[in-house]
Amino acid sequence: MSGGMRLWWSTCPKCLKAFVVAWELRHTKRKLICPFCDHRYLPEQSAKIDERHAD
Amino acid sequence: MQRDARKGTESTPQSSRRGPGRARAPKSLGSYLDLIRDNPAEFRTVSRTVNPMNFDVTGLLGVLNQRREYPTVQFNNPLDMRGKPSKFPIVTNLWGTRERCAEMVGLPRSEAGVRLGTLLCERIDRKQKPLVIPGRAAPVQQNVLTGKKADLWMFPVVRHFEMDLGGVMLMGLIAKPPREDFYNITFVKAFPEAPQRAGLTVHTLHMSRILREWEALKQPCRVAYVLGHHPAFWLGTLNNTPWGDNEYATCGGFLQEPVRLTPSVTWGKDFLVPADAEIVIEGEVVPGERTVVNPFGDISTQYQAQQLGPVMVPKAVTYRNGALFQDVFSGHREHMLLGSIPREGTIFNQLKHKMGIVTAVHMPYSGCARFTAYISIKKTEEGQAKTAGLQALAHVPNLNAVVVVDDTIDVFNEEEVLWAVNFQVEPRRDISVIENMRPTSDPRALGAARVIIDATRPTHIAFPTKLKVPQSAMDRMKLDEWLDPANAGAAKGRAR
Repeated sequence: MSGGMRLWWSTCPKCLKAFVVAWELRHTKRKLICPFCDHRYLPEQSAKIDERHAD
Repeated sequence: MQRDARKGTESTPQSSRRGPGRARAPKSLGSYLDLIRDNPAEFRTVSRTVNPMNFDVTGLLGVLNQRREYPTVQFNNPLDMRGKPSKFPIVTNLWGTRERCAEMVGLPRSEAGVRLGTLLCERIDRKQKPLVIPGRAAPVQQNVLTGKKADLWMFPVVRHFEMDLGGVMLMGLIAKPPREDFYNITFVKAFPEAPQRAGLTVHTLHMSRILREWEALKQPCRVAYVLGHHPAFWLGTLNNTPWGDNEYATCGGFLQEPVRLTPSVTWGKDFLVPADAEIVIEGEVVPGERTVVNPFGDISTQYQAQQLGPVMVPKAVTYRNGALFQDVFSGHREHMLLGSIPREGTIFNQLKHKMGIVTAVHMPYSGCARFTAYISIKKTEEGQAKTAGLQALAHVPNLNAVVVVDDTIDVFNEEEVLWAVNFQVEPRRDISVIENMRPTSDPRALGAARVIIDATRPTHIAFPTKLKVPQSAMDRMKLDEWLDPANAGAAKGRAR
């Protein structure tokens, strides 16, 4: 299970709903946009991060 | 009150002439809908106000889907992205059944199986040189908006699924590379994040290459985003054609008439746009700029992850009188069929050309009609199934699994295919994992391996055969002669 597109889940700090994000946005200074409440925040501001990955 | 969405649309000389002995109107979305609009199994309308950003459109389509009903639906009174009434009715679920897809390209419904895929492949080679007409004769330029009036939020953009980032336009982007003179047409998602700015997601090699080449020159890429055309036009854009193929000519082969083009409002003859489209957004993709796009519920029926995508800025919006806004019910039947049928034809033709033993190809809904292929062959020796599987993987890169069965198995009947997998496969020998192929762009986060399953009956060992009621016995059974009438049978059962 390697070689595919790596994903992670961010939980929005405002509405606490989680959504799926590409790895390219895990360690950038680009703000994520919550699809549920439109809140914009940096990845490290996520209420919860699930970045488990099968190597 | 129901609005006549097409009233006044057929006002050009070309499109008003109908009947024997007169020139036929050029094919358009409206001319196709005229063929199905009187059949309620194929076409339904919704006249109450709908808010497509609040899932009214996909909610209704979802209920129809649960009922296994797949009509094209026209929403006559949708709201725009500001929540105000839009002048553009939404038409969606065009490609909801194979039978409708067959009719779109001139085949009878009875030939919606293998023949439909092979016909689409034949049409690739029947290119028709496009016909260029002046803008004053082009229906799509009956209305022209430029500057700040080129406003993406005036459209009834649909938000499809609950985790989608927002409303998304799901139709086709047209572009040319910087140093070559051909047009590529690709389905591209456009997220209108502001009235004059949309983020794009591009998933095809050729369109990605065109955008990269313009970006390398630090120049904007001229594009036309087309919201609505005859469904056969779109089928012409979905084929595995080589780099350099002028897809306007390919689409003409599918329409069986030349695609009429007209100079764009923004760039004139340097960039031609489809004259019989419903709506065209002329715009530029800004070099080096990226914005956040997705999640979006796509073909695998999973969400594509939030990511960065290029940015399109509109320069002009043009539309025909009474224009329809075309959408696709992503991740459902029409989306699946839209891409699977041409791919089935591609695999069939390649195998027929290379091996000559293929009898049918089907990409089932269970594999979202993209990621699995069932192939039947007339096997004469061991090893042919794996060879066929490798050929399929080579020509349709996003396949994850290929199941090869004998020609006695109906590949359109999944029960028969899975029977063959259960009872004719020895896993250690018949399942081949192909490592390190190019990863697909789908969001499943799985790897780059593919699998070929040889589910043909082994010929090199003594092996059972499938049971069979004699065909002669079935042929002599006329049910109304042999079965008692239903009521009589029930009465006799009770009397015993």
